[in-house]
Amino acid sequence: MHYLRPDLLSRRAFLRRSSQLALTGVALPTALNLAAIGEAAAFGATDYKALICVYMGGGSDYANTVVTYDNASYDLYSAVREGGPERTAGGIALARDALTATLLSPDRPLPAGRQYALHPKLTGMASLFHAGDAAVLLNVGPLVVPLTRRDFSSDNRVLYPRPPRLQSHNDQTSIWLSSSPEGSTVGWGGSLADLAQDSNTNAMFTCMSVSGNAVFLSGRDAVPLRVGTSGLAFSGNLTGATMYGSASVKGAFNTLMRQTSVHSIENEYTRVTARSLDAKANIDQALAFAPENTAPFSQFPVTGNSLASQLRVVARLIAARDILGVKRQVFYVSAPGGYDLHDNLISQQSSNLDVLSAGITAFQGAMNQLGIADKVTLFTASEFGRTLTSNGDGSDHGWGNHHFVVGGAVQGRNFYGRPPPVSITNSGAAEDQWHIGAGVLLPSISVDQMAATMALWFGVPAADLPMVMPNIVHFGRSDYPINLRFLG
Amino acid sequence: MGNSPSGCEGACALQRVSSSASVVPTDGARPGAGTSVLGLGAAAGLSACGGGGEGPLTQQVPATSRAASVSPSGTTYTYSAPQLDDEAGKREAARFLLHASLGVNDSDIASVRALGYSDWLTQQFAVAPGISGWDWLELRGYYAITSAKFYEGNTFYPVDNMLWQQLIAAPDPVRRRMALALSEFFVVGMSGLSSRVHWPSFLVAHWWDTLCAHAFGNFRTLLEAVTLHPAMGMYLNADGNQGENPATGRVPDENYAREVMQLFTIGLFDLEQDGSVRNGVQTESYSSGDVSNLARVFTGYRRDERVRGSADRSIPPDVVYNHEYARLPMYITESRRSKLEAKFLGVSVPAGTSASQALKTALDTLFNHPNVGPFFGRQMIQRLVTSNPSPAYIARVAAAFNNNGSGVRGDLAAVWRAVLLDDEARGPLGLVDASFGKLREPMLRFVQWARTFGVTSTAGSWKLGNFGGGLGQGPLRAPSVFNFFRPGYVPPNTAMATSGQVAPEFQIVSEQQVMDYLGAMFAPIRNGFNIASAHLPQTVTGNSTNQTNDIKANYATEIALAHDAPALLDRLDVLLTAGQLRASTRQLILTALATPVVSTTSSDSAKLNRIAAAIFLIMASPDYLVQK
Repeated sequence: MHYLRPDLLSRRAFLRRSSQLALTGVALPTALNLAAIGEAAAFGATDYKALICVYMGGGSDYANTVVTYDNASYDLYSAVREGGPERTAGGIALARDALTATLLSPDRPLPAGRQYALHPKLTGMASLFHAGDAAVLLNVGPLVVPLTRRDFSSDNRVLYPRPPRLQSHNDQTSIWLSSSPEGSTVGWGGSLADLAQDSNTNAMFTCMSVSGNAVFLSGRDAVPLRVGTSGLAFSGNLTGATMYGSASVKGAFNTLMRQTSVHSIENEYTRVTARSLDAKANIDQALAFAPENTAPFSQFPVTGNSLASQLRVVARLIAARDILGVKRQVFYVSAPGGYDLHDNLISQQSSNLDVLSAGITAFQGAMNQLGIADKVTLFTASEFGRTLTSNGDGSDHGWGNHHFVVGGAVQGRNFYGRPPPVSITNSGAAEDQWHIGAGVLLPSISVDQMAATMALWFGVPAADLPMVMPNIVHFGRSDYPINLRFLG
Repeated sequence: MGNSPSGCEGACALQRVSSSASVVPTDGARPGAGTSVLGLGAAAGLSACGGGGEGPLTQQVPATSRAASVSPSGTTYTYSAPQLDDEAGKREAARFLLHASLGVNDSDIASVRALGYSDWLTQQFAVAPGISGWDWLELRGYYAITSAKFYEGNTFYPVDNMLWQQLIAAPDPVRRRMALALSEFFVVGMSGLSSRVHWPSFLVAHWWDTLCAHAFGNFRTLLEAVTLHPAMGMYLNADGNQGENPATGRVPDENYAREVMQLFTIGLFDLEQDGSVRNGVQTESYSSGDVSNLARVFTGYRRDERVRGSADRSIPPDVVYNHEYARLPMYITESRRSKLEAKFLGVSVPAGTSASQALKTALDTLFNHPNVGPFFGRQMIQRLVTSNPSPAYIARVAAAFNNNGSGVRGDLAAVWRAVLLDDEARGPLGLVDASFGKLREPMLRFVQWARTFGVTSTAGSWKLGNFGGGLGQGPLRAPSVFNFFRPGYVPPNTAMATSGQVAPEFQIVSEQQVMDYLGAMFAPIRNGFNIASAHLPQTVTGNSTNQTNDIKANYATEIALAHDAPALLDRLDVLLTAGQLRASTRQLILTALATPVVSTTSSDSAKLNRIAAAIFLIMASPDYLVQK
């Protein structure tokens, strides 16, 4: 790991992070708080590392993505999801037979005979898992503090605070990616970049989105560059020497693109146009170094797969990292199709996951071919999991979810976390302690733990973790470790 | 101008101008920060007269004739009509039109100046609607059951064409403008309608027609039409929603129940009438229990495809459904309804209540919730006028929602009046405040250009398809029910974020999109669009032989001015920005237009180059892009 070098301790970074803490509005235990802000530091990285967030917008359905497979659990799942007789498909339950090809065989078997298979369309993901390049995180979701179901049900929201606005798409998206509801302006990808971007010759390329705006990539300082699947592609009409036959018109255009203004909205708009022009030459040069029609980029299944298109440009930018002058990068892409499947779950999830698996598999293949796989970690995210219960042909908004981490540094072929029991009842029995009703999972791994594990790998000093994930200070017990050790 | 009858106020504005220095107030205080320059309202605006001179300004502040009038909500407002002075009056009329309509032309300006704002709106509310989207699709042949298969899912191209026609060519642009604003509140995004939809264009067309039909009607009526519309039913899954099954644990789909509260009526938190959270504390306005209970009311519904096509309306092996379903409200199947009592927001719908009564109770409860006025009102202000309205402005619009002056709640015409006629929208302070206004939406920029310069489709087919894809935004193409952008979106790492302002439209701004917009506009501004087989309904691959220059602007007036760059720019400035180009931008453009020289005897091509350059530079300028 690339821990801090004392010569790079940055007063500026310290101040940034402490003001950020003040904004989170989360009361931190004093001792930890002081420890955390005392030694905040930027780190100087000499090697290259990248994190890629693959966002599954809408709230992905955990129960049909990482599917419970052992007979006892499967039968419970099938009963709730209105499966057919003899473990056949029905309602929103997948047939057990359809899962045999994607049954996961982890190096460390799960307790109590629990088994999982991936959705039948996730064959590529299953291969990555068995190759040791992917792991599954069980029951991850936003938490402020560790919660049992009893804690959750308590009226004492001081001792047992919940993440605000559970089950609201826009807010949980924001909380997943930034620890705060909608309106938040600092995400944890951006906070990582704040700490890391001093390692980059050109900080402009630290955070890059191929899927528009996402709070994930915004830091206190870090500003995401939002590109398309071909980088920054401008109409030829904008790049010639003249406009409408006039060089002076082109000159005025160039001036307008960089015109500052006392008006806050105007000024911000031209900051974007100026940044676009500033970045273009470097991006063009980088992408020319890694043409899309050459291997491994030509191997991305981009037809009908916008995730593959997005991940292809990420792969090309990673290949050209030296041209961009970057040692640390954070990327954001989105998985297409829409995961908010209240309806039509079986058919739509199937096509969504097909695209997801093909895109990620191609990306990991490209990283292997570029010889950089152990420096690049990809993870999935989604605002919430869904109910285990069916509404007829879909499921509803939930909380905890199962997610993937992929990359050469991943201690793959393993599950991390605890398999939640399959239940929708509301008793005091053990099987009902990890959902809050309807099979909405009560997370047993917090997003903060997942992020902290990646942040440590990225090079963030342990003491700086609260600058990235403010709630991490509430974790660290043996059952909620700060480092989940899925990266080594 | 200001020396006309209104006395003190007009003179005051002049005085403020004459004493202006070169910087805008640094006051960053915005509504979100608890105070606002703009929150002063009419009374404070008047009192500022005596103290005129503070608040250095950067540009001409048009004084306004200010015969005080009373709005439908009983609020006094001051800026009731553009002033008499010709140039300033044109600017003021254009500014109003750009808030209230989809574009500005000379006759609109004349009529606003003749009638005043309020009477002009009254007149517009009464304009007979142009052809409906549905009828237009039928007229253009999109109802034909042919190998083009317009009845199949994923064929939204006819409805794209229809929407451009509706926005660019309709004779009732105010209605269309408000319908578009409503389409960003009650969102159905085409991309979210699955491939299982029959007659997708007609479904979306009737959705659009529904918004248009109710645009000047009542919110409660609209809410019911929205709830029962098959497009919304399919979008948020009330279509096909069924009651619980205690044996398996199956429960009703919660999607519509949740979003009708979070997005269409009351929002997440209890609100004061000025839009702030009640008592300054975030109190959630509904619980997950309210969602799961309300969901029971929205069970048993199904889109009405009981009218099937006759044999001659089918092409084997497809069964072509009758498109009639797309304009029928969803219907109830009793056996598929929830059997349980539903308790939400303090009311109870007992088990066994009829579907119509249950729906009435649910929608009445939502409609009468005190949040609706400020929640809806703030967003309509944001769509039409400014991203960060003052709390007082929101409260005035909410008051109009709550009571139109005749005791009617939810009168949308009263809401539009309150939004558009408010001093904060009409008064001159917005022109000098360093944060007033909003980023113009990309689709509105294109429509504005098209309407301003009389763009027509010679064939009448408007085959622009998903041109919005290039602009970065197309009508009814929001990616989710959360619209293209959120009302609370704060662009990170900006002065706006620092001062607690929102800028919703920035959620679709990116380094790629800003250039996409310019690239999309560049050629059409000068040359219009070459369309392949413009007379045919279906898409046809373009080639050199089948293309015609079908969709293009009419620059006759501008051609006559092209030799006179200052006059040309004056005209374009009023039409496109309501005269909001600042002096430096104006000079920059004038200098650019000076070469090549264009005289009265220059070719039309040379004149067109100059006209296009002027329009393009204006539309690329921050002065234009932020509507104030």
